[in-house]
Amino acid sequence: MEELKVMEEGTTTQYIVIRLGQEQFGIDIQYIDNIVRMQHITRVPKLAPYLKGVINLRGEVIPIMSICLKMGLAPDEESKATRIIIVKLEQYGTIGMMVDEVKEVVTLNMASQVEKMAYDKDDKNNFILGVGKYEGGLISLLDLNAVVQEK
Amino acid sequence: MDVSQYLEIFLDETTEHLQNLNTQILELEQDPENMDTINEIFRAAHSLKGMAGTMGYKRMQTLTHDMENVFSEVRNGNIKVKANMIDILFQCLDALEEYTGNIRETSDEGTNDNEPLIKQLNDILNSKGGDNAQAAPEASASAPGEASGTENSPAGETGGAKWQDIKLDSTDKMVITEAQKQGKKVYGLTVKVQETCLLKAARAFLVFKAVEELGEIIVSNPSAQDIEDEHFDLDFSLLVITEAPLEKVEDAIKNVSEIDTVTGDSIDLDKIKDEEKEAPGQEGTENAPAPAKEEAPKPSKPAKPTAAPASENKPAAKNGAAKPVVNRTVRVDIEKLDVLMNLVSELIIAKNSLVAAASASDAMQKGPSVQSGVNEHIEYLESVTTNLHESVMKVRMVPIESVVNKFPRMIRDLSKKLDKKMELYMSGEETELDRTVVDEIGDPLMHLLRNSADHGLESAEVRAQRGKPAVGSIWLDAYQDGNNVVIEVRDDGNGIDTEAVKNKAIERGTITPEQAANMSEKEIIDLLFLPSFSTAKQVTDVSGRGVGLDVVKSKIEALSGEVEVHSTLGEGSTWTIRLPLTLAIIQALMVVVGGEKYAISLGSIQTIEDISPDEIKLVQNKEVIHLRGNVIPIIRLDKELDVVSSKNPEDNMVVIIAKKGDRTAGFVVDELLGQQEIVIKSMGKYIDNKCKLISGATILGDGEVALILDANVLI
Repeated sequence: MEELKVMEEGTTTQYIVIRLGQEQFGIDIQYIDNIVRMQHITRVPKLAPYLKGVINLRGEVIPIMSICLKMGLAPDEESKATRIIIVKLEQYGTIGMMVDEVKEVVTLNMASQVEKMAYDKDDKNNFILGVGKYEGGLISLLDLNAVVQEK
Repeated sequence: MDVSQYLEIFLDETTEHLQNLNTQILELEQDPENMDTINEIFRAAHSLKGMAGTMGYKRMQTLTHDMENVFSEVRNGNIKVKANMIDILFQCLDALEEYTGNIRETSDEGTNDNEPLIKQLNDILNSKGGDNAQAAPEASASAPGEASGTENSPAGETGGAKWQDIKLDSTDKMVITEAQKQGKKVYGLTVKVQETCLLKAARAFLVFKAVEELGEIIVSNPSAQDIEDEHFDLDFSLLVITEAPLEKVEDAIKNVSEIDTVTGDSIDLDKIKDEEKEAPGQEGTENAPAPAKEEAPKPSKPAKPTAAPASENKPAAKNGAAKPVVNRTVRVDIEKLDVLMNLVSELIIAKNSLVAAASASDAMQKGPSVQSGVNEHIEYLESVTTNLHESVMKVRMVPIESVVNKFPRMIRDLSKKLDKKMELYMSGEETELDRTVVDEIGDPLMHLLRNSADHGLESAEVRAQRGKPAVGSIWLDAYQDGNNVVIEVRDDGNGIDTEAVKNKAIERGTITPEQAANMSEKEIIDLLFLPSFSTAKQVTDVSGRGVGLDVVKSKIEALSGEVEVHSTLGEGSTWTIRLPLTLAIIQALMVVVGGEKYAISLGSIQTIEDISPDEIKLVQNKEVIHLRGNVIPIIRLDKELDVVSSKNPEDNMVVIIAKKGDRTAGFVVDELLGQQEIVIKSMGKYIDNKCKLISGATILGDGEVALILDANVLI
């Protein structure tokens, strides 16, 4: 499980801000390998609905998942802004995640700008590590391992 | 001397020698009088000793040295091979394997001196006094000589006048006579390279080159080819015709580095002839105790017969009869091959893209002449890539011999441990498989063999009651079958008692009694492959902990293979393992189901049929077709894959008949796209094993991903 960095004064982490439906989420930049445009996804039968299939990323076959479906949000609506974020996780290998839009990269001060969530860690619906405050808006910081993990 | 760079070679060769020793000692057990086997063992032990010494592994050297002593005595007829001796020898091999294992892991041989073993070996050596009192002093005389193997003297002594052993045929003699008539000199030379020399063949080559500058080499022993392949111990002999004096030739040879001694003399043809006429001629000359000086003695009778044991360095193999045929090989790091293989994969994908691009532009109706030119080149590229792929695959193929060779020894040990008489018969050891598969297949096979030995074969009393031969038989047969390699483990034992399996499963709660009543024999046998399922009434240290068969199954499935069992109670069982020849690239049939493209390995496909919908019958509410006398169940892929077929249900259906073992099924697809070479890619860690129907993915020429259907799961 990914833990939030110790809340020391001055520790900062960079997040990529993405949009899923109307909500803004942040993904820790250290896990991100690449961001690619939406492309044809080959469906793989008999998988959970949130597993959309596989794509060809420069000669490698990469599985694609929908964060929206996994987290129980409204299904993704494909548009010109839809992107696939390629993340690398030690336990699960390389995975592509469909997001509605990629907005920007923000640097958050872990002490002053991030509110750690007081959720129960075992809650099956908890995909959020904390909430970041940035320019008046709120960004939910995703716990990628929780998003990817099968429950 | 820094030898670390040779460590890998050392380990490889040691493993080979140990395997060879294992096999030969087993043979010796069957046929204790076989001189060829004894000689072969002696040679292997000798090489092991030399290698261990060079690398500085003293304990290993000591042990092999003592083994070698025992064999040297066996070879001289001073000791008879006995059962307990074979046991001790096997223990020695185990100890050597332990050293090798330690060296592999830590590059140090460990601290186990194996003194009890050495003592036992020495006991054998000393015991021969009783057998042959006269031989005793000889042996002790020869033993120290061998002991100082790292020094030059004993070997130098032996290698002294070996050129006199060279057999001359009539043409050689004519050449010599001719040369002598012309006033040229004919010399016999024996060259000994230093024991520490690592590139003997290269040194020998330089010697040949040096000599050829001065004259002409007419004969060499061993042959030039064998020398090139390093099939010689430490010395080789030459007959040279030259005008130069002997010293000049000898100096030229000595200028080559790592040459220990050169012994030479001019040849007197008459004497050689005489020599051959003498009855023990061959033996006699070989035993001639040549001094370590540069000059050879006259080819006279041996002065001291006691020198015989030490000097008979070259066993019968030298005479050509029992020489094993060794392939000329280059050792290549498997990673380098993997890189090569990946490049070939990329090339094939690139080729497929070209094919796709060409047919796309074909559709755009470009100039027909340009088009045919492009096609021609693409076809050429296609044949090149296919050939390239095949050769790279072949490079990776190794015979399963390296794995199965250790089994006879294992069965022998099991036979003693279980107190059951059994014999292992193997065939098809030369069958080749991908290196990675061969490496992985050893454990599962070992499990199956142990299983047969322990559970399969009955005790001697039961066998006698059933009127079976007292010695149980286990067979291990390997053969190639199309794109697969089949390995069968068979025994003539008890077979699988399905009732016992059923009761055990009920007892364990794996199945309910109601379920059991409805299960077919085959389904019951399949229960054996479930984790933690063992029907052995008592747990032995051979098998019976229930960790065997499920591991066998998962390991073989991880190699994209499959296991099947056929068993008749009271008659025996057959375990059949089916493995794909290659892992990375396969020939596949591309099909379309509900608008999606899938690849099916050609290996499992039997035929493709055009079937009208009214040929489909219902049997037990399942769809079947009747095809050439067989009833074949029909599997509609669109339903299995959760898509909607794009075909009109009234139209004729395309049915692919596929086979798995002895089961057949027909897959209904919408459309055939044709055969294609595809590169198997993993779908990524995250989803790789989540869909059982799909065994992987591949990238098509247009960049699209197509999934590979695992027909075996559906049948």
